[in-house]
Amino acid sequence: MTDIKRNKSRIIFHIDMNSFYASVEQSYDPSLKGKAIAIAGNPKERRGILVTCSYEARARGVYTTMSVWEAKRKCPELILLPPNFERYRIASRAMFDLLRTYTKQVEPVSIDEGYMDVTEIDSPMTALQIAADIQMRLKQELDLPCSIGIAPNKFLAKTASNLKKPMGITVLRKRDIDKVLWPLPVLDMHGVGESTGKKLNSIGLNTIGDIAKAEEGILKEALGKNGIRLKNRANGLDDRIVDPDSVYDTKSVGNSTTLPSDETDLMELRKVFQTLSAKVANRLEAKRLAGPTVSIQIRDADWRNSSRSQSFRNLVYEKDKIFEVAWSLFTKNWDGQPIRLLGVTVSNVVDRVDFTEQLSIYNFEEHAKEEPILKLVETLQSKFGKDMITRGHTQVRKPTYESKTSFSNDFLDDHKDRENK
Amino acid sequence: MKFEIMRERLLDGLNDVMKAVSSKTTIPILTGIKLEVTEQGLHLTGSDSDITIQTFIKAEENGEQVIRVIEEGTIVVQARMFNEIVRKLPTSDVEIEVNEQYQTHIRSGKSEFHLIGLDASEYPLLPEIQDDRQFVIPADLLKSIVRETVFAVSTSESRPVLTGVHWEVKNGELVCVATDSHRLARRKTTLEQLPEGEYSVVIPGKSLNELSKIIGDSSEPVHIVMTQQQVLFKTSDVLFYSRLLEGNYPDTSRLIPNEYKTTVTVNGKALLQAIDRASLLAREERNNIVRFSSLEGNVVEISSSSPEVGKVEEEIQATSIEGEELKISFSAKYMMDALKAVDGQDVMVQFTGAMRPFILKSVHDDAILQLILPVRTY
Repeated sequence: MTDIKRNKSRIIFHIDMNSFYASVEQSYDPSLKGKAIAIAGNPKERRGILVTCSYEARARGVYTTMSVWEAKRKCPELILLPPNFERYRIASRAMFDLLRTYTKQVEPVSIDEGYMDVTEIDSPMTALQIAADIQMRLKQELDLPCSIGIAPNKFLAKTASNLKKPMGITVLRKRDIDKVLWPLPVLDMHGVGESTGKKLNSIGLNTIGDIAKAEEGILKEALGKNGIRLKNRANGLDDRIVDPDSVYDTKSVGNSTTLPSDETDLMELRKVFQTLSAKVANRLEAKRLAGPTVSIQIRDADWRNSSRSQSFRNLVYEKDKIFEVAWSLFTKNWDGQPIRLLGVTVSNVVDRVDFTEQLSIYNFEEHAKEEPILKLVETLQSKFGKDMITRGHTQVRKPTYESKTSFSNDFLDDHKDRENK
Repeated sequence: MKFEIMRERLLDGLNDVMKAVSSKTTIPILTGIKLEVTEQGLHLTGSDSDITIQTFIKAEENGEQVIRVIEEGTIVVQARMFNEIVRKLPTSDVEIEVNEQYQTHIRSGKSEFHLIGLDASEYPLLPEIQDDRQFVIPADLLKSIVRETVFAVSTSESRPVLTGVHWEVKNGELVCVATDSHRLARRKTTLEQLPEGEYSVVIPGKSLNELSKIIGDSSEPVHIVMTQQQVLFKTSDVLFYSRLLEGNYPDTSRLIPNEYKTTVTVNGKALLQAIDRASLLAREERNNIVRFSSLEGNVVEISSSSPEVGKVEEEIQATSIEGEELKISFSAKYMMDALKAVDGQDVMVQFTGAMRPFILKSVHDDAILQLILPVRTY
């Protein structure tokens, strides 16, 4: 089935909400409309890096990731707001619900963007008309602006939505890529970050067109498999399907934080790791997940990034264990440089429902306390069937939003819950 | 210093001391080995500061002259280099001569090497050990004690003391225990010639592995001397020193239950093979779990399943099953390790509950006891 579908030319939309958090705030409090506003992590501290800002602010030279004091200097009347993730979640959910009134083929990729496959929509409207309709309804019903890219695949759709902001609708055909895409610098290409960009420049590739025409061997040598992928993308080739179920593939749970000041004090850093480990443990708990790998991310004052990880036989989910591993990874690898950002992640996570735990001489007694009840459950299960009785906590999913970070993927849970209602 | 030696004998000695030499040492002189020749013979010493091995090659053995000593003396030479050179020399005799400035000449047939040696007085002295408190174990028994316990030490540094084997001499017995906290191996040995007093030391697993490589399979006595920081194993021609691990070894005696709810007696080999088959479906070690269930009629069911791969069930006939019905899950690898360590045909597996440690031992005696912590499935 999918093979047949793939051969046929598809129509993919990429919906990108324009300065989403700022727009939500403006729709919530209309007096903010037309004003330069920005959302900052914590306006009082340096961690107040702008999470996003309104187009009015952008016009004044303010941009996302700028520090609060710098933004204030450029634009003294800038209104700074603390983030209100609960509000953004509600708006995000409403936005995706609206998209799903057109087709089930909606794949959220983050809180404010997603793909739609509209190839098989049974509608008299053309794709362009559908896009215009979506954009208008998002504006009228939710008071939120968006840009939509229309293309035969995800990569081109994503590229297209980026071409015209805010409130743009851009069609990018494969035959236009040499005119539209190729003249752009490599850094404008989706999937090329700072380090990949540098590597590309170092082998003499400066525009997306250069990548498209580069020898495969050279790209592979410099970037490995990713090099081949980039070349394909630069030539407008991308066979990833729109997968509404991709939200179910949570692979890691992590938290990171920018420190209020560049930190070298071991006790302070230890506290940060304790806080981060607790947050990760809480989120794992909320989702009933556990994973065998714990990793840490370190960014020092010179923006050098590094990460270290350790894997275990048992799945990890407890705060103390996460902290113990994170802290030992950190103390083994820290060279004493001032630290700017720290992160803790548990990856390759799986549902705790089908998880096992190798008991140790230090903890078996706690588990042994539960033996009588487990034995009872087992007896009942063998009598009445496995699904008739299960342990309560393996079913409950607490709808908590433990994460307060903007790059968290927890919002995806909203889409998972949708199925259960 | 000048002497001639039979190349084969020199190689044998080098082979032993090289086990202690590490290229990763932080003390530069330890990348070398020390040669010390006297009228009696040649001492070779290698060390990585955790383990120190000294072998002695006698000048004369059974009336045969092994070494012809022309001038006594000592030198330290690059271990790897020296070892390779001796290995590849063309004839069966080697002449070694050291001139001033530690210039070392190695001659064999028409081949001559000049190596720059190091001042032997820089080489660390052997640990000083008073050997008034010692006991003796035959070499072959020592090797099997090591084999039956050392596999269970921890490979993770998170609890350093668990990377060693706990040796305790008490009430006329030597009790060796190793655990990585998930399983435990215990070996009891009754000793003759017991020393006065009690001992309790933790010997690094790595040291014991190296030790068992260099002691022979004979019943030659191995003298063992324990001190606060070091243990020394002494044979007629080898001194093997190891640093001990610091820290309190957990009290493992409380782990071994006094009473059991279920006792299964089964042919060890049959159980081992069934577990081995059941573990075929597990792709990674973390999921390498088998389930053990007691059924009616002295039958044990071994099963395993892997969500994406499939499942396996196998019934084996036990000699006897006494006590409560039981279902328990555990690591296939731990079980196989344990079964391999327990000699003898029939083994007794004793359980006290699905979340509690269970033990394996031979039906004949409990010199060897293996304990495994189960796996909890959710």
